[in-house]
Amino acid sequence: MLINIFNVILIILITFVTYKYFALREKSAPSLDRTMNYINGFGAIADRVEGYDSPHAMIMADMAEKIAREKGMSEDEIISLRYAAILHDIGEILLPRNLLKTSEKLDEENLFLLRTHPLLGELQLRNKDFPYDEVPTLVRWHHERFDGTGYPDSLKGEEIPLSCRILALVDAVSAMKEERPYRKKAMKMNEIVKELDLKSGIQFDPELVEIWKMLFLKAQTGGEN
Amino acid sequence: MIRLQSSWLLESATEVASIESLFFPFIHRYSSLNWFSRREMPMTVNNPLDSQAMLLRVWLEGKNGHFSEKNRRKFNQVIKKPLELDMNPFRAWNDRLFDRKQLDYLFYWRESAYEIEEVAQREIFWSAVYAIMSYWHSNRKIGRAPAYEPDEIMHYVLQMHKDNLNKKECDLTLLSAPFEEIEAPEVSLAVFPLIFSDEESEENQLQSIFHAWLHGHADTEQASRDIKNQLRKYSFSLEKKTDFPNYLRLGANADVVAICWSGEELPPRIHEQEIIDPFRREFSNHFSRSRFSIKTINPTTDTYDYLLLFFN
Repeated sequence: MLINIFNVILIILITFVTYKYFALREKSAPSLDRTMNYINGFGAIADRVEGYDSPHAMIMADMAEKIAREKGMSEDEIISLRYAAILHDIGEILLPRNLLKTSEKLDEENLFLLRTHPLLGELQLRNKDFPYDEVPTLVRWHHERFDGTGYPDSLKGEEIPLSCRILALVDAVSAMKEERPYRKKAMKMNEIVKELDLKSGIQFDPELVEIWKMLFLKAQTGGEN
Repeated sequence: MIRLQSSWLLESATEVASIESLFFPFIHRYSSLNWFSRREMPMTVNNPLDSQAMLLRVWLEGKNGHFSEKNRRKFNQVIKKPLELDMNPFRAWNDRLFDRKQLDYLFYWRESAYEIEEVAQREIFWSAVYAIMSYWHSNRKIGRAPAYEPDEIMHYVLQMHKDNLNKKECDLTLLSAPFEEIEAPEVSLAVFPLIFSDEESEENQLQSIFHAWLHGHADTEQASRDIKNQLRKYSFSLEKKTDFPNYLRLGANADVVAICWSGEELPPRIHEQEIIDPFRREFSNHFSRSRFSIKTINPTTDTYDYLLLFFN
């Protein structure tokens, strides 16, 4: 009888402690979860505006995180990188829709307009008092190219923060995997690898291209997607 | 290393004055001015180094057009047999900076360009080599063979140069003079991208290699010393005395002076003490007001971009 009472008290105690533990855990991280949910929502809107059928920004964020972990980036840096990946094209929401949907080659004026989207994105995030100071700047530089011919600032090589070099790579790879207005068919994986090899040291950081290939091959042999 | 954030610079300066013309007493890399070159705004730019001034003429100014198709066919040939290494003035770089095949092309491109009659055409051809060296260098760093053959990458870069020319809008005046010889122009905004005398970056190394190549020798140490010597009156140092009067003289006729730089591994308060405060002291007699802005790049590594404005 005593043992039974003891068991009941023990079960109640364990249940109480477990309840307290989960309640405390929920309290300790709700803002991060809420922020992430909002950000994911904005990212999904930007994807639709850009005409992606897949969750392009989320795919980018996952791919970017894998590369970042391989590079040994810190947890804080990875969180910022994920936010920047999801919000990278937020500036496109402010551009005329036909500019993003057209399959025709853009003239110089429209190309210039399209290329303002990293600046618009940065400005939007700064105006919203975004909690991570560095994320707007990462958004600004997601179209910089390793050889210094990107936009808006034509940064070159190591001047481009590592997170932005990762964003540039995963944005391109993710776009290659999809049908786009300027390309009717999604590229096959061997075509993507060939394209990355050609642009290594021109558009992309060669080291990151090799890491991406290594992760991709690992995923292929390990049956991971 | 400096990240020049052109639109940030212009927006910030526009908040304190009307900006209609620009002066860069020094620019660290030609493509940093791409954004400004697409604005309809007169711009005066100086780089005392002949190798960098040539890149500015070709890539930024571009008033001599693109590399002709006739010259491309004639001078961008495939080298079928390896050249004699002993004859190559850059042989000291073999397997250290470039592979044997790349060295053959560096020798051939430099020498064959002397046969191009028009100097402007020759400069375009030589300037393409800077972009190619950068491409080779970044791939070599991770032990990877470049995907493009030398003649293919030359073709690619020349085409990129041609495409780039159409985008220029600004009225550009290029100078290549020592700092003490430049007269400060009357402009709305004078911009000083700060470079630090003790800094070693990949871009610095590349510029030394290119400088040595253009001058026909393989001594990158000598090239590096030449560059440092040319920039002596401009570069900033936390240890040595900085030539503040030189900065002040070059910015004296500007409505707004902007000093911008990038920092890492040191918290912003150190930058305030060691850079901002001394500049404020030196400029206070000429400019009554100043404004300091900062952008976070990576708080984990204390990486920030800084902008200091002086105005009246």
